[in-house]
Amino acid sequence: MRYIRDTLALLATCALLQTGSAYAEDAATKITDDPLELTIHFHFRDKYVYTEGWPVEKKAAEWTGIHVKNIASLATSNSRDAFNLLMASGNLPDIVGGDVTGGLKDDFIRYGMEGAFMPLDDLIEENAPNLKKFFDEHPIVRQAISAPDGHIYFIPYVPEGEFSRAWFIRRDWLDTLGLKVPENVDELYAVLKAFREKDPNGNGKKDEVPYFAREPIEAVRLINMWDARVSGSERYGDFMIEGGKVVHPWTTANYKTGISKVAQWFKEGLIDTEVFTRGARVREYMLGNNIGGMTHDWFASTSNYTEALKDSVPGINFAPMLPPKTVSGKRFEDSRRATVQPAGWAISYSNQHPVETIKYFDFWFSEKGRILSNWGIEGETYDMVDGKPIYKETVLHNPKPVNAQMWEIGAGVPRGYWAAYASEEQWTNKMALDGIAMYEKEPGLLQPEFTGVSMNSEERAVYDKYWPSLLTYMMEMQQTWVLGAQDVDTSWDGYVARLDQLGYAKVNEVMQAAYDRQYGKN
Amino acid sequence: MATIIVGYFKRLGEDLRRDWQLYLLMLPMLLWFLLFLYKPMEGLQIAFKDFSPFRGIAGSPWVGLENFRTLLDDQIFIRAFLNTITISGLGLIFAFPVPIVLAIMFNELQSELGRRFSQTIVYLPHFISVVIVAGIVINLLSPTTGVVNLILSSLGLDRVYFLTQPEWFRTVFIGSNIWKEAGFESIVYLAAIAGISPTLYESARVDGASRWQMMWRITLPCILPTIIIMLIIRIGNLVEVGFEYIILLYQPATYRTADVVSTYVYRTGLQGTQYDLATAAGLFNAVIAFALVFAANRISRKVSTTSLW
Repeated sequence: MRYIRDTLALLATCALLQTGSAYAEDAATKITDDPLELTIHFHFRDKYVYTEGWPVEKKAAEWTGIHVKNIASLATSNSRDAFNLLMASGNLPDIVGGDVTGGLKDDFIRYGMEGAFMPLDDLIEENAPNLKKFFDEHPIVRQAISAPDGHIYFIPYVPEGEFSRAWFIRRDWLDTLGLKVPENVDELYAVLKAFREKDPNGNGKKDEVPYFAREPIEAVRLINMWDARVSGSERYGDFMIEGGKVVHPWTTANYKTGISKVAQWFKEGLIDTEVFTRGARVREYMLGNNIGGMTHDWFASTSNYTEALKDSVPGINFAPMLPPKTVSGKRFEDSRRATVQPAGWAISYSNQHPVETIKYFDFWFSEKGRILSNWGIEGETYDMVDGKPIYKETVLHNPKPVNAQMWEIGAGVPRGYWAAYASEEQWTNKMALDGIAMYEKEPGLLQPEFTGVSMNSEERAVYDKYWPSLLTYMMEMQQTWVLGAQDVDTSWDGYVARLDQLGYAKVNEVMQAAYDRQYGKN
Repeated sequence: MATIIVGYFKRLGEDLRRDWQLYLLMLPMLLWFLLFLYKPMEGLQIAFKDFSPFRGIAGSPWVGLENFRTLLDDQIFIRAFLNTITISGLGLIFAFPVPIVLAIMFNELQSELGRRFSQTIVYLPHFISVVIVAGIVINLLSPTTGVVNLILSSLGLDRVYFLTQPEWFRTVFIGSNIWKEAGFESIVYLAAIAGISPTLYESARVDGASRWQMMWRITLPCILPTIIIMLIIRIGNLVEVGFEYIILLYQPATYRTADVVSTYVYRTGLQGTQYDLATAAGLFNAVIAFALVFAANRISRKVSTTSLW
């Protein structure tokens, strides 16, 4: 074996001398000289599977010598089902991965501890310099994906960038009404009130909807104005970290104030009366009909509406603004990009080539692998300009969004890889980029993120027993209050008592124990 | 005892030889039952286990009645169970008679063309997917642009945001279900009516009976066995409310009346991947459904001599 490898190295050197640098790079990324085929089950976002025909996959196979063959079936239109069926079959391929509703992080950890997946720590230490470097530079990622037994069982999809969502307001309406961008909660109230009363769209009808929202997580986002948070992560109704303690944001005193004020605003018509039933296409509806005034949503996608609607809604300028100052006088942005996505891939117990596999995983965290996984193929989707990958004009000026084009060739898919914000930046429009810059310039806007805890089986048993009903009840009361069916002040004590009855203290206790173990008491 | 069993198999053998074509026709259905309804029953044991898909059914440890205890301790589950009974019970009272009335009305229509036309119209909603029905309902009941609220406000009444008010959920749910299914369900009764011997009506007409009297004295009594069988089946489904339509219509704000066992199972069991708990809830439901059918059948046999078995 040794002999063969040396010979091949020699051959590679000869080839290098003959044909220049391309071969040298290949030699650096080659993991195995005998082409190796690894099987993978990778079903993601309910409609895609890992595809051998992806140009990115072909390129990776060419560079690494490892060809990945998908066994997940496209017949299933639910990635969660596909994953569960695979686990129940017990017959695992070499690599298992994907991205499903609700995330796979807990599954990787739980089944990893049950023996389905290999612990990766030693493999990384010995064979994966890029991953090791990445984890050393990003200890929070390592902590967030660690199992209760201290091991790492999967390589996650790691996003990059800080801000995800922002407050958007019809700046042209502000101009029409002679108002300034609201700086604090009182000004915000005045602005929304004016949107409601003063007919900023000028059609003579009182049809303006001052605040509208696309997702449940945004429906009550205005509680931020009273220093209350909606969630500690990008997941609706998640816990948050406050002074090292795990707390649910919907149990705090600020939440009580915030939700009662939001209920008040709702009653006054400042919030869309149908905010809970409007559905996902609310931005098209509200902005296209020239009736929506303000929302909280993703920078990039929301910024596109001003451009897209400039002909049908003349003068529209739906642009980001800084979060208004809260009642206590500070500014904060509740949402942020997740540090780690609960997606990625793991090595199953039956894999005969764990070393090659971890090297393959490592390849995607190398410079070359990272560019390949973000920008696609050089010369086809991007060019190197001053040492940096830049999308080709044909990609940027294509009716299809760039991310959709990338998915088609196998880039930007939720394998274990490190997304490059620079790639997204290249196709984000100017309004969003300016907005992000505005948010970045403001110090201390971001709130601490709750990156999740990994529970051991006793903790999980407690969590599973109580948490679903607790969340059900909290969501129910949240809507009940906003819709005005019950008064917050009179029903709050009953709410707290009921939470206790449903086991809030027990859930909180196991979350705290898991948090302390995973992130250390500090 | 032994002779009875031997005798039974002897007779079965003779029957098989004589009517083998009929038994052959029955075979596929029998196999379907065995494969899809009896074989999966072995999976019921996960209701008594701490189930992990990877460990498999055999590899997961037994936990006795722990899952059932969790369920019955959970106030949200209890509420979901009561909601299920309430929704089905109200459905039984309001929705069950509608197809019968419809069938009788169709039967009384004189014009053949008019009858076919109106039948097609009322069957049609059955073939619309629930997703679309829910979309129609949401639009009709929208507080700002919905027809219902436009009518209410033009009459000077207050607009009602139906889909976020727990008090309205059952009405909306059962009402739209009647619209969707009543026409199609009336087919069974129409078939039963078609089976009534015309001589009965002829002799009644000779005796000078009015149409109203014929309906009460001939049509209804003749389709009563069908009605009772349908009723028993309905009672068996009393603890069963399909979750798709509810999920499309409900909101956290209406959980108080809208959350049923199947949606509870969907949320905790499937979304939360707690298969053991979900199976326990399903089994709990099935046992109660069986008891209900058994009781309904008993009562029906005593009272009307019609029964399922």
